[in-house]
Amino acid sequence: MSKKAVWLSSMSVSRVFLILLVLFAFMTPVFVFKATATDGEDAASSAIKKAEEAMVLAYQAVLEAERAGANTSGLLNRLNVAGEYLARAHILYRVGDLDDAARFADLCFENAEKVKPEAEWLGNTARVESGVRLRFTMVGSVLSVCLIGVAGFLTWRVFKRRYYRRVMRMKPEVASDES
Amino acid sequence: MNLEDHRTLFAVTTLGLVLIAALPTVSMVVSVPSGAERFSELWVLGPTHMAEGYPFNVRVGEQYRLFVGVGNHMGYSAYYVVYVKFRNQTQPLPDTLNAVPSPLPPLYEFRAFVVDGGTWEVQLTFIFLNVSRLGNSSFVSEMSINDVVISMDSSSGWDLENSGFYYQVFFELWLYDTSLQGFQYHNRFVGIWLNMTM
Repeated sequence: MSKKAVWLSSMSVSRVFLILLVLFAFMTPVFVFKATATDGEDAASSAIKKAEEAMVLAYQAVLEAERAGANTSGLLNRLNVAGEYLARAHILYRVGDLDDAARFADLCFENAEKVKPEAEWLGNTARVESGVRLRFTMVGSVLSVCLIGVAGFLTWRVFKRRYYRRVMRMKPEVASDES
Repeated sequence: MNLEDHRTLFAVTTLGLVLIAALPTVSMVVSVPSGAERFSELWVLGPTHMAEGYPFNVRVGEQYRLFVGVGNHMGYSAYYVVYVKFRNQTQPLPDTLNAVPSPLPPLYEFRAFVVDGGTWEVQLTFIFLNVSRLGNSSFVSEMSINDVVISMDSSSGWDLENSGFYYQVFFELWLYDTSLQGFQYHNRFVGIWLNMTM
């Protein structure tokens, strides 16, 4: 192989290498950006999902407390604040603002997480209170029924005695029939 | 009145008093379902918080205001989502007969927890940011709802009968169903027509 041929061959190898290097330098940010975007999308999506689950659990706890007779208006107000954050997270996710979407989803999660144990505590307290109230009412009702029964029986006895006495005091009269 | 009559009167009176005494306990143990109808309300009010003065002739860059409200008569505290959607005259509305929502994607949403017998209301402001016209069609490509800029792709042809480019902003009500563990379209929607002026 002549000197010129060797020089040309080494030249083409270095040129190809240079072109590949430039291409790699240009393509790398594209791949990195795409991978980062996908990561951001996944992070926002999972944060929203987590927040949604927390909201549903908190709401179910509030409903349970409500059924037990607790006043849940304060908890509902706080859930409304969490709901605003969650709605915002969904909207921002749709428009592609993934960082803020994840931030609002996290805020929602924090709020909903705090509501759930309070709702459970409120529900348990309401259940205990309603149990005590039911027991008191039952005792009151049973005592009242007994009292009415005894009073009715005694009153009836007194009334019956007086009734017989009045009947005994009555004198038979013979009506004259002068026609 | 003989003794038998007196005895009957006594027995009936005593029984009546016993029932009255037992009533508080019975009412706490036995729950009678109310026959009231379960439903939700959805409304939209104009900028003066009245059912008047709704925006109609709209243009780019101007801010318009509405109030959206929900009333709960479901018998329990309900969890709602209100979706804000945008359509032209040919795009589908929700199907009220089959309780199917519009297939259009929501642009914006609100989430609300409303106590039974209570109401919830929120303000909504919107601005059209990018509207263009090409021949007999107008194109809305960007609007802002409550300060969130939303890219969209909606177009409307010129309505010869009513002389305008008509669009509709409408609101769908969805309710969280605890038994299905998800939101269901609650078959309520309300909207306003807009005439895009250039």
